[in-house]
Amino acid sequence: TPRLATPSIPSRTLPARQPTNVLEEARTRLHVSSVPESLPCREQEFQDIYSFVESKIIDGTGGCMYISGVPGTGKTATVHEVMRCLERATDMDEIPPFRFIEINGMKMTDPHQSYVQILQKLTGQKATADHAAALLEKRFSNPAPRKETTVLLVDELDLLWTRKQNVMYNLFDWPTRRHARLVVLTIANTMDLPERIMINRVASRLGLTRMSFQPYSFKQLQQIIMSRLNKVKAFEEDALQLVSRKVAALSGDARRCLDICRRATEICEHSAADPSAKGLVGMSHVMEALNEMFSSAYITAIKCASVQEQLFLRALIAEFRRLGLEEATFQQVFVQHQALCRVEGLQPVSVSESLAVCQRLGACRLLLLEPSRLGVLQRVRLNISQDDVLFALKAD
Amino acid sequence: MTTLLQHPGYEEGRLQKVAELLPCREVQAGMLLSLMGEPQQYSYPSIFIYGHRASGKSHVMHVLLKELELPHATVSCVECVSVVLLFEHVLRSFFGSDAASLLPCSPSLSDFVRVYRQQCSQSPAKETRYIVMEKAELLRDTDANVLPALLRLQELVEDNVTVILLSEIVWDKFRPNTGCFEPLVLNFPDYSKGELQQILSRDRHPSYSAEFYSSYINILLGVFYSVCRDLRELRHLAALNFSKFCEPVEEGKVKETDTHKLWRNIEPHLKKAMQTVYLREVSSLQWEQMQQMEEKETGILRGLSAHTHVELPYYSKFLLIAAYLASYNPARTDKRFFLKHHGKIRKTNFLKKNEKTSNHLLGPKPFPLDRLLAIFYSVVDSRVAPTASIFSQISSLVTLQLLAQVSHDDQLDAPKYKCAVSMDFICAISRTVNFDIVKYLYDFL
Repeated sequence: TPRLATPSIPSRTLPARQPTNVLEEARTRLHVSSVPESLPCREQEFQDIYSFVESKIIDGTGGCMYISGVPGTGKTATVHEVMRCLERATDMDEIPPFRFIEINGMKMTDPHQSYVQILQKLTGQKATADHAAALLEKRFSNPAPRKETTVLLVDELDLLWTRKQNVMYNLFDWPTRRHARLVVLTIANTMDLPERIMINRVASRLGLTRMSFQPYSFKQLQQIIMSRLNKVKAFEEDALQLVSRKVAALSGDARRCLDICRRATEICEHSAADPSAKGLVGMSHVMEALNEMFSSAYITAIKCASVQEQLFLRALIAEFRRLGLEEATFQQVFVQHQALCRVEGLQPVSVSESLAVCQRLGACRLLLLEPSRLGVLQRVRLNISQDDVLFALKAD
Repeated sequence: MTTLLQHPGYEEGRLQKVAELLPCREVQAGMLLSLMGEPQQYSYPSIFIYGHRASGKSHVMHVLLKELELPHATVSCVECVSVVLLFEHVLRSFFGSDAASLLPCSPSLSDFVRVYRQQCSQSPAKETRYIVMEKAELLRDTDANVLPALLRLQELVEDNVTVILLSEIVWDKFRPNTGCFEPLVLNFPDYSKGELQQILSRDRHPSYSAEFYSSYINILLGVFYSVCRDLRELRHLAALNFSKFCEPVEEGKVKETDTHKLWRNIEPHLKKAMQTVYLREVSSLQWEQMQQMEEKETGILRGLSAHTHVELPYYSKFLLIAAYLASYNPARTDKRFFLKHHGKIRKTNFLKKNEKTSNHLLGPKPFPLDRLLAIFYSVVDSRVAPTASIFSQISSLVTLQLLAQVSHDDQLDAPKYKCAVSMDFICAISRTVNFDIVKYLYDFL
């Protein structure tokens, strides 16, 4: 292997397959990575961001905007849509030209890398973090006659946090310079991020231009799916409504909604008796997909556990009841485990076997354990509620 | 040699030699051989062998791999202070020294696997390769990924390799919290008394008969078996004391067959050896010298633990006495011991209900500096100024580990100390300054 190899996804040798039937067509349209023609239900937010950036570009000034919202509410998609529209507008000579640069806090190994990436995207120069910061500082504070506005999108802002917060400070300080002509759009998940993690001089520079994306309601989710499908008739009306209602009740995450719909089309495809005559995705398919996505894996794991593992869990709960605590040492549980074995008419387990059972349950995170070198003195706790365990043990 | 080792993959003669070298371990060796299978066959990915000290774990593995000429790397985890040494050693013994130099500086586990696979594709294994890890319990203290990776190394490097872990600790205390590939666990049981006798009788002196040496071993085991079953220790003791045992025979006083007289001669000698050589109070060299000097009785030489006498300055002795009193007396009895007009109070008045056990059994208790100084002024007869030298003596007692500072939170404000010396030591110290410490100890009231 060569040194300094950059990891990458291998490029595709064959072209991607064209969808052959309705369900496949629907699946490609519902894929999260397929860019929709328009973003429904975010018209107001789109308009706000568009007018903010447009006014800054036309005036030749700078500014910051903070965008927040739970995952899957279309923050990044909306900003990208705004940028597409603005670029279209510059092509029509409606507004002056500008540069669009995007960085993502998640994609960086270190917050200071953001300087390097910004500089590289702006000028193509490569520099160390400190040098890049100095160059950017010079670029944004000195006047230049033919400078165009730069729009910087910072995704996952909370990961740029450092102890001295100098990266955030610089990002928000540059737009306030007279000659900077920099518009910074920042995206993060929590609404009160500036108040929680930023020191005052950083939060004040971020300013009060904030926007929060509300989670989608079920009607909006339904509309999103409908617009994605765009006349492809693959779903029953009721099935779509069920998916959107379920997702809206839980999180309002559009990506989750699309995932469930895609899974439902797959289930529909598999369950069809005759491969040529595939029907619509119905209620039952959607229900199955929802169950797959939302049901707890812990309960299934307990149900599928071996006899001794289930006995150990029962012994653990019996010991918790006896102690009145949510924690017990292994040797206390072991006494109960052996007693339960006798009651059940099984061969009594040895300490090693019981420890192996306990550590196996700990390895699949049903239990929380201390390091195994403590032996029988390690304390055991449940990672899920006792009711869940009882439900799973009782069900069979 | 009741059961001969038999396995289709290996030559008869070699197995014979292995069986001769492994007395009383035929069952375990046979089990290991059948697990290892024929040389070209794939073996189990990892085998975990545990047993007490000197139960022949390393020896059996060493003899098997050496005599059957299987490719192997024996690694002691004590030596491998970093995993780099482990990787280098394994690569060097499998693929030669060139392979080890391919590792980058500060290699990670993935570097090791990469180099191993690269080398392995050039020289694929014709026979199962074995990595033997001695003292494997130390693997738990290295990076968290080393032990799970070693357990499934066969899968990672796609080579016919088996990792054998040797340890004195059971497998239950090894398992990582995130789970791992479970190795095959084998136990090496302890040697019984008969087996120890059989093994120890093998290294007999050439100028004496086998029965003579065997009866000597019998006597030796009669004395030491109740306290020590460690083969290495017993063998060491047998070698040390044999010259004393055959002394009467050499002088011609006793015949070789007269076991009773020989026993009468050696038994007190062995009893003394248990108190001196076995505890390493007297080194083996000193013990041999003592045996040569006839007139000098063994055990007269003072052992290591007798050298507890320490020369201290006058006030340091009193400081240490005061610290001892503060550590082992309850604070509420200080008035009764150290004030002049305290009146007569009996011990029963002080006794609390939960204080039945002696303070000496519970160990020293921490005390503040103020209390130490108060007791110090009351036990020293003359007037002592609280000069810098007194305080520096306290801190030098701490550096000598005669006092221990507890709770490192405040060095200056109100430090707390514990007294870390034994009763015998403090009695010796107080005798030198004519101070009757027992009179002031609450436990001995």
